[in-house]
Amino acid sequence: MDLLDFARGPAINVAMAVMVFGVLWRLFAILFLGKAPDRTVPRMGTPGPLGAALREIARRMVPHPTFAFAERFSFFNGWVFHVGLAVVVFGFRPHVLFIKNLTGLSWPTLPSGVVYVVGAITLVSLAAALVRRLTNPVQRFISGLDDYFSWVVTILPVITGLVAVGHVGARYETLLAIHILSIAVLLIWLPFGKLFHAFLVFVSRGTTGAFLARRGV
Amino acid sequence: MNADLCHTGPAASLADAVFAELAHALSRLAATGEEMVVDLRSLPFGPTDLAALSERLGTGEVTCTLEVAGRSEVRETGFAGIWWVRHLGDGDEVAGEEVHVTRIPEILSSHPDDVAFAARRIADAVTASPQEGPTAADEEDISRG
Amino acid sequence: MADQKTLGERLAEHGVSRRAFVKYASWLGSLMALPPATSRAMAAELAKAKRQSVIWLSFQECTGCTEAITRSKGPTLEDLIFDFISLDYHHTLQAVSGEAIEEARHAAMKENKGKYVVIVDGSVPMKDGGIYSTTAGHSNYDTLMETVKDAFAVISVGTCAAFGGIPKANPNPTGAVSIGDLVKDKPVINIPGCPPIPEAMTGTVAYLLSFGKVPELDHLGRPKAFFGENIHDRCYRRPFYERGQFARGFDDEGARNGWCLYEVGCKGPTTYNACATMKWNGGVSFPIQSGHGCLGCSEPDFWDKGGFYVPLSASIGPTAKLVGGAALAGAVAGVAAAAVARHRKSSLNKG
Ligand code: HEM
Ligand code: HEM
Ligand code: SF4
Ligand code: SF4
Repeated sequence: MDLLDFARGPAINVAMAVMVFGVLWRLFAILFLGKAPDRTVPRMGTPGPLGAALREIARRMVPHPTFAFAERFSFFNGWVFHVGLAVVVFGFRPHVLFIKNLTGLSWPTLPSGVVYVVGAITLVSLAAALVRRLTNPVQRFISGLDDYFSWVVTILPVITGLVAVGHVGARYETLLAIHILSIAVLLIWLPFGKLFHAFLVFVSRGTTGAFLARRGV
Repeated sequence: MNADLCHTGPAASLADAVFAELAHALSRLAATGEEMVVDLRSLPFGPTDLAALSERLGTGEVTCTLEVAGRSEVRETGFAGIWWVRHLGDGDEVAGEEVHVTRIPEILSSHPDDVAFAARRIADAVTASPQEGPTAADEEDISRG
Repeated sequence: MADQKTLGERLAEHGVSRRAFVKYASWLGSLMALPPATSRAMAAELAKAKRQSVIWLSFQECTGCTEAITRSKGPTLEDLIFDFISLDYHHTLQAVSGEAIEEARHAAMKENKGKYVVIVDGSVPMKDGGIYSTTAGHSNYDTLMETVKDAFAVISVGTCAAFGGIPKANPNPTGAVSIGDLVKDKPVINIPGCPPIPEAMTGTVAYLLSFGKVPELDHLGRPKAFFGENIHDRCYRRPFYERGQFARGFDDEGARNGWCLYEVGCKGPTTYNACATMKWNGGVSFPIQSGHGCLGCSEPDFWDKGGFYVPLSASIGPTAKLVGGAALAGAVAGVAAAAVARHRKSSLNKG
């Protein structure tokens, strides 16, 4: 078994299993935790919990006007690399074929050239996010190892993907194997660190919205 | 040689670049006798490039067809000393295409060892009785070539 | 049997002049991307060379490789190789049989000690004392080791000899191994493929014969001149790959338009061979040109890489089972964790 077989076989399979296990474990543990019954009376005229949750989710898609100027970089850059990641992961034929092989789901994709360009933009945007994190005193102060590690495992698949298609430095099979291994690391880390925000952002923002709405905030 | 080709820049077509290179090579042949071969198959040449180069080089006085392990064609171009050599393989597929800058392509001249062998054969023929001529077996051998 | 005549003398006897070497060398030199001066030297060396004694051993194989190398239509350029070598032992092509053929092998080995080339097609079974394939009462392993002892070099022709090939495919019932796994003290040149491109086989033999040395090899022991390039990088369908135009089946619109075959399982991106440049049958076509994806036949274990019609990027192995199991376990673990937390909370509240 060569490196590519290892990456494409045991490595990615185990990584996916760990990811699914971790995600369901953490999600279920939170969702079934239950909440202490709220004995307060909801404010008059407030929306129901579902509506409030959705409203909060939508509201937080853009920064509060007060902070709009201060946050303009984080806001814009955050959107760039998240959309970039989504385009690269779900818009590239080989990626979709990977998903199709597992789930049977398939959808139209973009020309590979477009994906390479978006990948490069994503790369720059992620790099900018790190620069910002290091140069902004407040952000730097609140950043821990988890933040940096999460950043590394996010940017690695983008770097290795681009390096593989560009044939930079080594044989294609080796580069591809490294790409897949970097994805394995990302998948394994996903449920256990801050990247779990991918699953929790809407849960937490919705919950907050529902909670605050009841209070009429 | 490929490195030299790059100097002509992207504006010139590959055929033009090879043509310029051949011009250099021909002046070297004239001055010093130095020979050169360009393997056209090793260049990213399309059929149009080939045709363009062939046309610019033109046709000279000599055109030969060889029957040696399949057919080969050797043509002197419009520039003395530049030869177009084309080897055909199985099913008349082009097996090799080269431009030689030389006074005579190697494949046209008789190899010294072949000459020596032929000299022995002809000597035998002289001593043998004159009416016999080539035998049937000889003809078979020759047609195989 | 090898004799003392040079190749030039032999051809001359057949009425073929030494021009044949010039032509052969320029053809081969072009295929192998040798500098023109080297091709010239090759022509001179070939004319002076003696016929190369070749012992061809066939082990666990299908004879496809021999078929490929001997597919000849007439005395042409590509067949000159058969004038350059003396095939002193070959099961399929030899007229004699029985004891005589084994004697021929021993005689060739003795006469050309240290100079003969051993070509092998097929893999060697090692399980149960190697009983799964024998010739003249000897296991393939014994025959191989005896024969390569005094060889100059060994050429593993075909993926079976080079990497184990189909006999080694899961579950490898005979314990098949490649020649390179067994022969460690001689140069082993791998010419994989199922079958290999004939020019890659004959070209390598001619190179050995002319220069008396092994051509430059890659990390899998393959001559770089023939296996240095990736099919995908030289594929004429590549623009469709970049544009995202993929055939979804073998008779859909994409297939008819000649789009990229990645989605129907093409292994071109991870396969190194000369198919896309040299092509087959003297340059007529190659599998992708005929509308079928590359199987990756010149790569180790190509038979066990997840399926010929499964896209390259698919994971291999029991992914669904593993992930399904993990999902179940994760859900159970999550619910249990929540239950424990609830229990603790309610007992705290009570207490
Ligand atoms: C629907 C899914 C997702 C949502 C709504 C989401 C939302 C967010 C938000 C609100 C932030 C903070 C933005 C900021 O600092 O400006 C963030 C940061 C981040 N997200 Fe996501 N995210 C999602 C999925 C993902 C995924 C799948 C990944 C990686 C695979 C990812 C990687 C990151 C990283 C690395 C950061 C930190 C960037 C930094 O260093 O500043 N996100 N995400
Ligand atoms: C610009 C960025 C990227 C490029 C150019 C890229 C390129 C590629 C290529 C060419 C393959 C093909 C594999 C093959 O032919 O076998 C591949 C596979 C894959 N990539 Fe990416 N990739 C990029 C980013 C990512 C990211 C960010 C992820 C996930 C977070 C990802 C996940 C995968 C997966 C799961 C596979 C399938 C693994 C396999 O081949 O078996 N890629 N990628
Ligand atoms: S490599 Fe293929 S063609 Fe050659 S012997 Fe093995 S199975 Fe037959
Ligand atoms: S057909 Fe195969 S080798 Fe050709 S471009 Fe598509 S994937 Fe690459």
